[in-house]
Amino acid sequence: MSLFVTAPFIGSASLHVSDILHFDTLSSRIFFELRVPRVMFAFFAGVILSLSGLLFQSLFRNALMTPYTLGISSGAVLGAGLAIKLGMASLAFGIAAISMFGFFGAMLTIFLLITLAGFIRGEQSISLLLLGIALSLFYTSCLMIIFYLGDSMQNDMLLRFTMGSLSVVSWESPAFVGVASLVLFAVMYAYRFELQLISISDESARLKGVDTKHLTLILLVVSSVAIAILVSISGPIGFIGLIVPHIVAKLYPSSINRRILKTAFFGGFFLVFCDMLVRMMLTQSELPIGIVTSIIGGPFFIYLIIRGRI
Amino acid sequence: MIRCESLTCKYDDKIILDDISLHIKHHLTLLGSNGSGKSTLAKAMCNLIEYKGRIYIDDKNIKDIRAKELAKLITYIPTKLQVYDPYITVYEFILLGRFVYKESFFDYSKEDYEEVDNALTLLSCEHLKNHNISSLSSGETQLILIAQALTQKSKIIIFDEPTANLDPYNSKIIAQHIKKLKESLGVILITHDLHLASYIDSPTLFIADKRAVYYEDREKFFNEDTLKKLYGVTFKALMVSYE
Repeated sequence: MSLFVTAPFIGSASLHVSDILHFDTLSSRIFFELRVPRVMFAFFAGVILSLSGLLFQSLFRNALMTPYTLGISSGAVLGAGLAIKLGMASLAFGIAAISMFGFFGAMLTIFLLITLAGFIRGEQSISLLLLGIALSLFYTSCLMIIFYLGDSMQNDMLLRFTMGSLSVVSWESPAFVGVASLVLFAVMYAYRFELQLISISDESARLKGVDTKHLTLILLVVSSVAIAILVSISGPIGFIGLIVPHIVAKLYPSSINRRILKTAFFGGFFLVFCDMLVRMMLTQSELPIGIVTSIIGGPFFIYLIIRGRI
Repeated sequence: MIRCESLTCKYDDKIILDDISLHIKHHLTLLGSNGSGKSTLAKAMCNLIEYKGRIYIDDKNIKDIRAKELAKLITYIPTKLQVYDPYITVYEFILLGRFVYKESFFDYSKEDYEEVDNALTLLSCEHLKNHNISSLSSGETQLILIAQALTQKSKIIIFDEPTANLDPYNSKIIAQHIKKLKESLGVILITHDLHLASYIDSPTLFIADKRAVYYEDREKFFNEDTLKKLYGVTFKALMVSYE
């Protein structure tokens, strides 16, 4: 809680409690229109990323499964890249075109993954992971073409987006992402025992009357929409979905149904904390959060592979 | 109890079982060489795999029974248990047997917990209840799987090679439990362990070359000539006693 209270005070402009209590002052506006929405956004983003990680890992029984490793975030980046390249950075239907294209990019990736997964014979989860990696590489190449063809202003915008950022300028984005994270949490909690069964094995879930194909589809769609909403606003923030469920499992070694709430809170606070560090490190400008999480996440990814937790 | 009519199962394009019809009255022991289709038959009975033909349990086509209701009629205990969730405890695992009785979205009831306690007592494995499933030995795992099936209260339990990875002592414990369960439940036993098959003493179905041969009488199956013909191996007197 103390993290929540102190987090909005930290940043390039230092704020004091007495300042923000006077409305219409600059400090007050920075606090309520920038800092507080940002902390809320970071929290909900952390919830979505870590819950999706936990969900994907349980559904596919593989510790490396996250929306990030499956290429869903890359899909969003490519979508946003297209919007920028096509000069559609302005608003369309009240929502930024970048966000809309990002959303469709992420959803298209999910659709591709689900369709292609239908053709997979044999070990589903490993093949799906490889599919995700293949898609990511393909997207990256497409993005390179966009970079190559883009002018420097477009490229700068795109580069900013690919780095992932939590800066928001209004209450709209935290509200969107907040609703998405609540829905994701509610659905996962409602199906907590089904998830527990699926995370043992597909067969054991079906022997208890769970329609695993149908349920997997529902859960994937819900989490993908949440992820798509988030990534279309923030850009890719990698490895949270990989790290947080693992740390929570180490801290509270219990079955998945009892880790959903803990993972959500820990994920939220973890990203608020990372974001606070980012704002403390540099005072002139700020390091994009996606870079920070990737720098922590990369070595962690290697650690998971070496420890054989895949 | 279970009736299969013109049952055909394929895996990819390979036919595993070809046009099998059979009627299981109470119990059955399924024998046959590796890959002969014993587990396939068992999984078809639980509607876990695609098949052609019809399977009836208590005169109801299993395709017409809701999945949770079917789970109350029949369940399948695998040889080995692969668990991704490394932190699920024995107690939580057995509790999942009550899933079919639980209201959707809600927690388990007091009665469900009592059923788990009963199963733990019946199989004398209370001491394991707080252990992680992944830390159990093969014998313990088999016991816990049986405990889960018991809390599920299915009328028929299929055991798929329950003694496959067990030492003689643990095999004996499992064998005695299965024998006891035969008094109150339908038991379908898949095994290569002829000592076990002989001890459990149910009518025998031998599967070979995609077809099945039924032996109602014990004597007709457990004699040297039949065994030599079916397995292609000479059998001397059986050695282990599960009594």
